Amino acid sequence: MIDVRNLRKEYGGFVAVEDSTFSVADGEVFGIIGPNGAGKTTTLKTLAGLLEPTAGSVEIDGRAADSRETRRLLGFLPEESPLYEEMTALSYLRFFADLYDVPRDVADERIADALEQLELDHRDRAIGDMSKGMKRKVAIARSLVNDPDVLVYDEPASGLDPLTTNYVIEFTKELAAEGRTVVFSAHNLYHVEEVCDRVAIMNEGRIVAQGPLEELRDQYGRTEYHVFTTVEVPGAVAEDGRYRQIVETMDGVERVREAARENGGKLDDLRTVEPTLEGLFLDIAESGGRDEERSADPTEV
Amino acid sequence: MRPRKLLRIARWEATKGVGGFDRGAVAVIVAAATFVLAVGFVGITGGVALEDGIYRVGVAEDSGYHDPVAEDPAFVAVDPDPDAIEGGRIVDDRYDLYIEDRPSGARIYLAESGGEPTGKSRAALAALRQSIDRYNDRRMFEEPNGTAAFPVVVTIRYVERGGTETVAIGEAGGDGENGTETGSERDGNGTGSGGSDAEGRQEPSDGAGGTSSGGDSADGTDGRIGAPSLGAFDLFGTDETAGTPSDIQPPFPFQSLVLAFLFVLPLNFLIQAYGSSMLSERLDRRGELLLVAPVDRSDIVLGKTLPYVLVSVAITVVIVGVLWALGGEAGALSVLAVVPLSLLFLATTFLGAMFARSFKELTFVTVTITTVLTSYAFVPAIFAETSPVAFVSPLTLVIKDLTAASVTPGQFAFATGPPTLVAAICFLFGFGVYREEDLFTQRAIPHKVLDALASRIHRPRSVACVVVLLVPFVFVAELLVVVVLFALPVAVSIPLVFVSIAVIEELAKGLPIYAGFVHARYGRSLPVTLAVGAAAGVGFFLAEKVTLAVQLVGLPGSRVADAAFQTGLGSADPTVVALLAFAPLGLHVLTSTLSALGASRGRSTFVVGLVSAVLVHLAYNVAVVSRLV
Repeated sequence: MIDVRNLRKEYGGFVAVEDSTFSVADGEVFGIIGPNGAGKTTTLKTLAGLLEPTAGSVEIDGRAADSRETRRLLGFLPEESPLYEEMTALSYLRFFADLYDVPRDVADERIADALEQLELDHRDRAIGDMSKGMKRKVAIARSLVNDPDVLVYDEPASGLDPLTTNYVIEFTKELAAEGRTVVFSAHNLYHVEEVCDRVAIMNEGRIVAQGPLEELRDQYGRTEYHVFTTVEVPGAVAEDGRYRQIVETMDGVERVREAARENGGKLDDLRTVEPTLEGLFLDIAESGGRDEERSADPTEV
Repeated sequence: MRPRKLLRIARWEATKGVGGFDRGAVAVIVAAATFVLAVGFVGITGGVALEDGIYRVGVAEDSGYHDPVAEDPAFVAVDPDPDAIEGGRIVDDRYDLYIEDRPSGARIYLAESGGEPTGKSRAALAALRQSIDRYNDRRMFEEPNGTAAFPVVVTIRYVERGGTETVAIGEAGGDGENGTETGSERDGNGTGSGGSDAEGRQEPSDGAGGTSSGGDSADGTDGRIGAPSLGAFDLFGTDETAGTPSDIQPPFPFQSLVLAFLFVLPLNFLIQAYGSSMLSERLDRRGELLLVAPVDRSDIVLGKTLPYVLVSVAITVVIVGVLWALGGEAGALSVLAVVPLSLLFLATTFLGAMFARSFKELTFVTVTITTVLTSYAFVPAIFAETSPVAFVSPLTLVIKDLTAASVTPGQFAFATGPPTLVAAICFLFGFGVYREEDLFTQRAIPHKVLDALASRIHRPRSVACVVVLLVPFVFVAELLVVVVLFALPVAVSIPLVFVSIAVIEELAKGLPIYAGFVHARYGRSLPVTLAVGAAAGVGFFLAEKVTLAVQLVGLPGSRVADAAFQTGLGSADPTVVALLAFAPLGLHVLTSTLSALGASRGRSTFVVGLVSAVLVHLAYNVAVVSRLV
């Protein structure tokens, strides 16, 4: 169980995270999204015990995040893959397993499993000779050598090609399916939608919205109805020989249908457009969480 | 700290390269070993003989000049060919000099060019004269009756200033048993050879003060001139050499210093590899994952440092072994002396690597460290044979070891204690900034210094603790000032010491105060500011008193040191001693408060406060110390 209360983090005079509160249940996958500089990485590094909160508290299983016991049960993957490139993948992973007091035989078994799962064959190759995707896989394997209960992944698919990105996301889903608690951030909101049970949206150091994705949609998103008519009606836009009118309620749809009939035409098509996470994110981020300023994304679904 | 983790990190640091041992470390070891072998061999076998065989001399084997020529490596004795001389000139270019023995005496021809002797032949002639003189002296020493060879013998022993040692001046000493005591203790009225200082006060004698019979020399030599060793001719500076009075020079352990340099040079290679390893943890953010692991920061730092300490010890042992194998006197003392120096090099490099933002800056830092610490090691060691100030440097212990001289436990502690303490404190400050927020931020070096100081400050009174931690730095810096200035005339050295001391001490107190304000470790109200100033002043005063004890051990009787550390030991008046013991409390509290008042209002006002503090300190030195010391 991760419990973050009124977290505030300052660097010098700069406030990176302000009054952030959230909790993550055991086995839950929690995503943190937000624009650059929103405070996502600072929040994750505080969870990993790398940064000391200026105010507030961060606890994992009732212990401070920077305690040695907490670090022992946590797997952290930073945005970059700062590996020791002169080492081989195997010696690198063994070294970290040693630091986590994992017995050599157990470590070797875990490393073999992780590398097999990650389809990484070149365990005896120097890390510096590996591709970026392979390095990322080594970094992920490193985050698993201590068999952590909690995984904190910062942009796990950052800078990877689409194939590797998809692989990493799928692997993260598998880890979640094993019952681990996962907290991760991503720029690509599709990934968050794919993996997360709940999300927090951060902007300018604050959490402006959080909750299960469906709740966020209900709370902040609006379903749009794109009504296509055979004749022009007030407010409609011509499109491919038809006329499109966007309304937000079924009453609005009925009004458009009535107007078309009065003009000698009819309702030709009706499409429902649900709000995406990206749309929610943009709206919430721009409005700072104020409900009345948001609108739905017109992208078709 | 957990030793198992520390050792695991140490093993990893040493072997993280794909091929086992880190290639950088191996390169350092190979370079250092090669250098040691080369320089050690050259040093012990008498140096690089650039002048060997440069002069060719035509001299017959039965000539009286043959042996002096043959025994001097600068000459090559060539069989004389009578056809080489025509018309009183050398016509054969095989000769620079040509010695023709005649019944009336030898005649020496010089090679000529354009009717004039060549420069080389003139130089050869001068060298031949010196060589003959040395040859004659050697023959004279072989005489069983020293009195016959040297009717007048002067034995000189160099003793510490301020001592009451007498020097033996002998006349017709002969066998050293028939002299007559004629000396008397000097009366302190300036009749000895000791000089007077600027104030007209009599300096203690540097040894002259009495006379005794010539043969009764302290070392029991049988009448040889007791001139100190000239390193170039004396392998380890242990044996006396003799010469004419013009050969007598102050003792300078030249060859021991050269050999001692062997112990320091590998450290310069080592800190490059160490600094690079430490900085790469920061620049690539590689250290981030170690910080996430359940390992203490001190384990990480010390684990990464340990291999370099061991390498330095191993190199030192190898050097000792090489010197020992070649007939030198180096032993365990040299190893024990180099370890603190090695720790100091590594600790300052570690701190530098924590502060540098790039490899370019790190290069600047390591060059600075190399220059400053090499000076710290070498400058005092130059006086190894003449002044206790030499024990400021651990390298002096190496020189003593090389010359088989004894070292007291107090001297050992005085030489190794301060650098060890400074190294420990550097690591302590480094631990404070070995964390995510400081490791991976690109801040200017002055800001990093303030970060490191502030990492140990949590409230006003903890400023006192940080100031106490800085006192060993102050002490070492002041020792360096003493070493650099003690040989100058007192009229020059004392004012310079006063200025240097004021600047060093006020910086040591002012910077932690300022760091605390910059990092908002305490408020800026007047009561808090006064409390911070008082804490820094009291902390410095208490820690400074420790230097009194250290000086008692290390630098007794030095006026410059007394002025620097202001202990009043130069005064016989107990009132003065007591006054100098407690007056600095007021001074330090006052000057710290001035710095604190400035620091509480910003950077520029801090500079004003600091300068004011320095001026007040200087005025105190001039007004109080210079009158009392």
